[in-house]
Amino acid sequence: MTTQDLIDRIGLKPLSRFAHRDVDGVFISDMVSDVMAHAKPGNLWLTLQTHKSIVPAANLVDVAAIVVTSGKDVPQETVDLASKYDIALLVSELTTYELVGLLHALGLRPR
Amino acid sequence: MNAPTCAHHWEMINILFGFVAFEKCYHCRGLRTFFSLEQTPFLGEKYREGDHFWSRVENAQSFRFDLCCCNCGRVERFDELMGLLHCTGCLPECEVDVLRRRYEAEGKWIIVAFGFLPDANTPARTIADEKLAILSDYFNQRRRPGRAPIAVVPFTMIPDISLCRGDFLHDVGMLSQEPPGERQPLL
Repeated sequence: MTTQDLIDRIGLKPLSRFAHRDVDGVFISDMVSDVMAHAKPGNLWLTLQTHKSIVPAANLVDVAAIVVTSGKDVPQETVDLASKYDIALLVSELTTYELVGLLHALGLRPR
Repeated sequence: MNAPTCAHHWEMINILFGFVAFEKCYHCRGLRTFFSLEQTPFLGEKYREGDHFWSRVENAQSFRFDLCCCNCGRVERFDELMGLLHCTGCLPECEVDVLRRRYEAEGKWIIVAFGFLPDANTPARTIADEKLAILSDYFNQRRRPGRAPIAVVPFTMIPDISLCRGDFLHDVGMLSQEPPGERQPLL
């Protein structure tokens, strides 16, 4: 499963410029400290946070992509920073719960 | 014959969530920080300690950790690490920003490791270069081949931390779903 697959099959909307990559597992958290402590490289990180600090946190862990759920508006500076770091920043109008259901149906699991 | 050295492969252990408390003295304008395991830290809490009048100005949810080598079992403690900061390039003459721009041109990212500020009269606890190298190794060992590497640099490169507007990688304002505004200077 790649980030391109998720965009095509679930309708995630890409905001940043990035190179597509494989997705390995899902991590859900709205705390960057939790992400830095527990997320794994290649994870799809689901969050409501949109502050630009999510980008360096995601980069430190080397997540496959950040998905901002519930249709939250993402500030342009967060998008620009994600493009700079080659971090996939995607958005979904779905709630985290709804999105997790779709991801689970596609076979993605926590890792 | 020399014993073979270990090609360390690090993992995070002893993860402990808590708060980094920022306190300011309104008498001398000094700042200090420490790690707290309080369940519900209070902002604005005031108390006197000698000649200092401390007030809690910020609580940031963060965590502490150590690193352990999976191969040889060596443990490196990071008690002196207050947090990691992302340089936003706010001070063009700052050594961190100069290095950040140079590294970015080389395809490398930097992150600043901050030590705790014990009190207004004591210099901040520095983090040994060897430990910064180990921390860099930890992050880089987890990255996919081809991803830009990360270099962890010391906060002592920042000439005046009271002017620094870098983004700490910790969590503040967690009760609000609105994005936090620009971080205000601590002094």
